[in-house]
Amino acid sequence: MLKIENLHVRVEDKDILKGINLEVRAGEVHAIMGPNGSGKSTLSNVIAGRPGYTVTEGRILYQGRDLLRLTPEERVWEGIFLAFQYPVEIPGVNNTYLLKAGVNARRRHQGLPELDAMDFMRLVREKAKLVELDPSFLARGVNEGFSGGEKKRNEIFQMAVLEPTLALLDETDSGLDIDALRIVAHGVNQLRSPERAMVLVTHYQRLLDYIEPDVVHVLADGRILKTGDAALAKELETRGYDWVRKEAGI
Amino acid sequence: MSAIDRLRAQAEAVFARHGVPAPRLEHWKYTDIRRVVAPFIDHASPAASAEQGGVPNPLRDLDAYRVTFVDGRLVDGDTLPDGVRVRSLAAVLAEARGEEASRLLAVDERAPLFNGLVALNAARACDGLVIDVADGVCVQKPLYVLHWGAVGAAHPRHWIRLGRHAELTLIEHYLSDQEQAGLTNGVTRLELGAGAHARHVRLQQEARRRVHIGRLEARQARASSLVSHSIALGGAWSRVDIACTLADEAARCRLDGLYLLAGRQHADHHTEIEHGAPFGVSREMYRGVLDGRARAVFNGRIVVREGAVKTDSAQRNANLLLSDRAEVDTKPELEIYNDDVQCAHGATVGQLDAQQLFYLRARGLSEEQARQLLTFAFADEVLAGIKPPEVRRYVERAAFGKLPQAGDIASMLQQAGGAA
Repeated sequence: MLKIENLHVRVEDKDILKGINLEVRAGEVHAIMGPNGSGKSTLSNVIAGRPGYTVTEGRILYQGRDLLRLTPEERVWEGIFLAFQYPVEIPGVNNTYLLKAGVNARRRHQGLPELDAMDFMRLVREKAKLVELDPSFLARGVNEGFSGGEKKRNEIFQMAVLEPTLALLDETDSGLDIDALRIVAHGVNQLRSPERAMVLVTHYQRLLDYIEPDVVHVLADGRILKTGDAALAKELETRGYDWVRKEAGI
Repeated sequence: MSAIDRLRAQAEAVFARHGVPAPRLEHWKYTDIRRVVAPFIDHASPAASAEQGGVPNPLRDLDAYRVTFVDGRLVDGDTLPDGVRVRSLAAVLAEARGEEASRLLAVDERAPLFNGLVALNAARACDGLVIDVADGVCVQKPLYVLHWGAVGAAHPRHWIRLGRHAELTLIEHYLSDQEQAGLTNGVTRLELGAGAHARHVRLQQEARRRVHIGRLEARQARASSLVSHSIALGGAWSRVDIACTLADEAARCRLDGLYLLAGRQHADHHTEIEHGAPFGVSREMYRGVLDGRARAVFNGRIVVREGAVKTDSAQRNANLLLSDRAEVDTKPELEIYNDDVQCAHGATVGQLDAQQLFYLRARGLSEEQARQLLTFAFADEVLAGIKPPEVRRYVERAAFGKLPQAGDIASMLQQAGGAA
């Protein structure tokens, strides 16, 4: 589903990613772990199309097509979803109405009829339950006055409503207390399916106690230094990242 | 010489002394209107035309008392309910009783934000509304005043008094002929009795060749409240001055405004709130959206007198620049003469937030849609306070209805007014 080949990315004259190779297949959950400043968030932002990142080499194929040629919104319509590390507040823009516009933009793109208000609200209520989101949040401005945990829950809720093919979760566990973490993880697990792939970007192993990944990658110094299964995450938790660096000769 | 003629001559003399404001005056330094106003200074107002061809009839769905002015003359008006005395300024002046004439035409050079054009209005005003709302009378429907500028200069002058605990909503809508240049130079005075409540909306949508000068003066008695919205969408040059005096205890005012400018439009808003007594509350929120080579000026002055303890005042001005060539000058001015006050103020000038734009696109909105939505949401925080809702919806349509996706955009707003 997602194939990244020799990806080099520069941000403001600084090389952040220096030759990433990664393949994610439908149904798989990948965890990308690594120390701070290793380029984890850069990777998810580049896949989602955030402006300000320059790809200097390599390519990203999504469902066999050149992803980098698509605008951020076209990527959403094609089924890519980014759960933000720092969801922004947008006062005055209604949480639910924004989501409805997003869902219907995607449906138009897919040649499907738009959802009417009734069908959409049914969908929204069902998905809000999934992440135990208080329905009063639906009526509020986008992330307006939400706590850190509520913002992250809102991200997973949006993901559930948009039903992506490829979901990128950027440090979704950061800033969550243990209850919120459990709820978010439950939401994510509910969304696992053979057709859907997920990439979890995380600094700590903690999230992976709740969401078991199929593949774990260690990203450091702009490269994937090691790839393994869920056991690798556990090893990182006890041994830290330095040994991986040494092993890779850095 | 009659009392009226004498007052007119005095006003004319004050104008002659001050002239059209020039940039050497502090409050006019960004705005030189002398050249654009000059052709209309000696322009006699045309006689009231019996036929009202070309006068539009907007806001038809608004349940209101309607009054229409053409070039500053009253041409048509509904009858207001009992307890509301409405006369035309022309009729009042024709009766020419000295004391009342003097109340209606006197020029006070010491008034806040005074300038030559205020005197010019007193000298040249040929008509306006003189309204007295009796004590305790709540006028249920808004009073909608359409000012149509057909050609040349108009100097409407409205003098409105609300008795104790009276309530009135006054909507002044300024429109003008697209083909004609012209000048509007209006003065509206509100005197609020104790506990009275007034809402004032200025909706300025004049043609791109017209100059709009508007002044709102309010004097508030004990525990009265005023809510003012000044919406500047049209005109080549527009300037609105609002001078509000909280003369007695616990009076409150909210002055909000929105200017939405493009091309080479220029809009000024100057407000002065004088806290003259204890426990006064003032709130101000002005927002601007500027595109093209538009230019805006916001100057908000707050004066807190020595005895005005427990004053609570907050002022905010935020501006969104959609183009590199648009320009805003914003300046708060606080003058505080006692320690027991709370005064907050803040001003910002910026572009659309890149993080917010990306967030919206990452939820499936197109870039254009995301830009429009953020712009609309920014402006709508001001419009959300406009009552009745029909007026708010009208303003939203007027402001954003031309955007290609206005309907979709409006449906995503927090307190969806449902534009377009």
